[in-house]
Amino acid sequence: MFVEVAAPPRPMDKAIKAARPSLPRAIRRAAPPYLYLAPALILLGIWVYRPLAQTAQLSFYSWNLLPTTPMEPVGLDNYRRMMDSPELGDALWRTLEVILGLLPFSIVIPVVVGLLTRRLGGRSRAVYQALVFSPMLVAPVAGAAVWGWLLDPRGGVVDRATGTSVNWLQESGYAQVAIIMITGWHVLGFAVLVVAAALSGINGDYADAAALDGASRGQITRWITLPLLSPTLVFLTLMTVLLSAQWTFPLIDSLTQGGPADSTTNVYYLLWDYGFRSYDAGMGAAAGMLLFVGFGLVAAALVWLSERLAFHDN
Amino acid sequence: MSRLGIEGVTKSFGRTVAVDGVSLDVGHGEFLVLLGPSGCGKSTLLRMIAGLTPLSAGRIRLDDTDITHTPPRDRDLAMVFQSYALYPHLSVARNIGFPLRARRRTRPEIRGRVAEVAEVLDLGELLERRPRELSGGQRQRVALGRALVRDPGAFLMDEPLSNLDAKLRSSTRAELTGLHRRLGSTFVYVTHDQVEAMTMATRIALLNAGRLEQVGTPAEVYDEPASVFVAGFLGSPPMNLMDARIVSRNGELRAVAQDIDVPLGIAGELPPRDVVLGVRPEHLAPAATPMLRAQVRMVENLGSDEVAHCTVGSAAVSLRGPRPLGMSTGDALGLGVAPHHIHLFDRAGGRRLTWSPDPASEPFAASPEPNSPYKPAHTLR
Repeated sequence: MFVEVAAPPRPMDKAIKAARPSLPRAIRRAAPPYLYLAPALILLGIWVYRPLAQTAQLSFYSWNLLPTTPMEPVGLDNYRRMMDSPELGDALWRTLEVILGLLPFSIVIPVVVGLLTRRLGGRSRAVYQALVFSPMLVAPVAGAAVWGWLLDPRGGVVDRATGTSVNWLQESGYAQVAIIMITGWHVLGFAVLVVAAALSGINGDYADAAALDGASRGQITRWITLPLLSPTLVFLTLMTVLLSAQWTFPLIDSLTQGGPADSTTNVYYLLWDYGFRSYDAGMGAAAGMLLFVGFGLVAAALVWLSERLAFHDN
Repeated sequence: MSRLGIEGVTKSFGRTVAVDGVSLDVGHGEFLVLLGPSGCGKSTLLRMIAGLTPLSAGRIRLDDTDITHTPPRDRDLAMVFQSYALYPHLSVARNIGFPLRARRRTRPEIRGRVAEVAEVLDLGELLERRPRELSGGQRQRVALGRALVRDPGAFLMDEPLSNLDAKLRSSTRAELTGLHRRLGSTFVYVTHDQVEAMTMATRIALLNAGRLEQVGTPAEVYDEPASVFVAGFLGSPPMNLMDARIVSRNGELRAVAQDIDVPLGIAGELPPRDVVLGVRPEHLAPAATPMLRAQVRMVENLGSDEVAHCTVGSAAVSLRGPRPLGMSTGDALGLGVAPHHIHLFDRAGGRRLTWSPDPASEPFAASPEPNSPYKPAHTLR
C-alpha cells in the first residue's frame, strides 16, 4: 500500500490570536511620530498657512494698513482694478525678461562649467568651485551697495573698464540688464554647485560603457550625460522661474527702487509697492493671491515634467 | 579575430601596486578567466585592456597593433560591466543599438541588427522597455546584446553574473559557454567565483595581490596548483594545507608532523626540509594504516556529499565524500591518501615542489612563477 507523505500541518480552523496590547499602551506606542512632527506642523500653520488664509481674506477688503482705519469689504473690486491697470501686464512682462535673462546663469553657464571642471583633479576643482560659489555668501544688500559704486556713471569701474559712459542704473533698458547681471552673478555659484553635485552623482560606468561602444566625447555628453542631467536642469529651471523675482528684490530695492520709469518693476516689486508704498493692502493681497495661484500652476507643471524626466538610475 | 597580448602590464595608484608586471597571451577564440579574490587587481587589469584605466608600465597588443595608448572607442572591444551600465533613459532597443548609432550606421541597418540580436537573446518582447522595467537576468542579456551587436574583436566581461541569483547564474553560465562556442571569438572574463572559472574557462589566470600566480586550463590549476595560494583558493572546501617536514626514513621520503606521517612514495635520501603538505578533501579517506590522525569536529551535510571538519595536530583538515560518510563529531580517525594525490609546497615561498627523479639536477625544484625571468632554486639536498 502507498501512503502519501502529509504536508506539515496548517491550522486552518482555529484562528490564532496574538496577545493585543492594552489601549493606553497602543496609544503610547503610536504617538511619538506625531509628537515629533507636531512642532514643525504647528509652526508651518502659524507662519505659512494662517498668513496665506489672511491674505486671501484681505484681498476682498480695502484697507490702508492703519490700525485706526476700519477694513471695508469690497468684494472682487481689488481683482478687477488690478486686471484693468496696465502696470500688472508690464510687470509680468518684465518678470518674464528677468526669468529668461537669468536662465543662462542658472543653467547654461553652470552646465558648461560643470562639464569642464569634471576633468580637473580633486583639490583644484574644489578651489575652483569655492571661488565660483563665494558670491552666494555675500549678503545681497552689501553686494548691491558695492555694485552701485562699480556701476556709478561718474568714475565707476565698469564704465572706465568698458570705456563707455552709460548710466547703468538710471537709464531704462540698461537698469534691467544690470539687475539681471548682478542677480546672475549672485546665483551662479549655487547653480554650479548643484550641477556639479548632479554630475558627480552620475555613475561613471555609463560614460565608460559609451566610450567602449564607440561614442566620442561630444556624443557621450549629448547622448548620455545631458539626458541624465535633465532632472537637475528642470529643478534649476523651476528654481529660476519661481524665485528669480524674489532674488532680484533686494537689488531692485537698494539700487533702482523699481525705476527708472518702472523699468525694473517686476511682479514682486509691484506687489510690495501696492502694499507698502501705496498703502493699499487689499490690492497688495490680491496681487499676492494671483501670483500664488499663477506660480503654483507653473510649479506644478514643472514638477510634473521633472518626474517624467527622472530616470531611476539603478 | 583577435589575439590579445598583455606584456609586463603594471598599474600603481600612488604607492599601492594594483597590477604588478602581468604578462599574458590570450589566443584567438580563447575564453580566458581572470580569477582571484577581491582586490587582486583583476578588474583593474580588465579596465586597462579596455582602455578605461591608463597603464603605469607595460604594453597591450591586439593582434599586431600596439593599442596601449589607443582610446577605448577605437579598440574594437566590447565590454559587459558588473553594473551592466544600461543607459537608463534609453529603451532596450536603443541600448542595444547604441554602438551602431555611435558608428553612424543607417537607421534600417541598426533596426535590423538589433532585431537579430534580440532574437538570439530572446529579448524581442522587451525592446520598447526601459532598463528599470527589466529583471536582473533581462538586464544582463541586454548588456550582452549591446556587446554582441557589432561583432567586436574581443569581449571583456567584468563579473557579469554577480548580480544574478544562484539558479539564474548557473543557467546563464551555460548560455555564455554556448555563445562563446557559437561565436568563436575571444573572451576575457573577470570573476571571483571559482565555479564560473572552472566551468566556463578554456584557461584560467589566477591573480593574487596584483601578480599572476598560475595560468593554465581548469584541470591544470585544480590538479597541479602552482602555489599555496592557488591550492587554498580552488576547491570547496579548498585543499587542506598542513605544515610538515620531509625526512628520509629507511630510504623513503615521508612528510612528518604532529599526528602526520605520510609516505610520499619516493625513494631517496635527503636532508630534512620544511614544506607545506597539501591534500584535497576528496582524496582523504579512512585507512587501515593511518597517515593522519584526525579528530572530527563537525560533519556538514551537502545533500549528495558530506564534509567532515577535523583537527590533525594543530591544522584544520576537511574530508569530503559521498553521503553517508559514517562519521560523527568526536570520532578519532586514521586517514590515508594515495601518494599521487599529495601536493608539496615550499614553506617560505609557497611555490609548488615537483620531484625530478634525475639526481644530477635539482631533485626537488620549486615551480617557477609565471613571468619570472629566473627559476628559483629551492633544492632538497
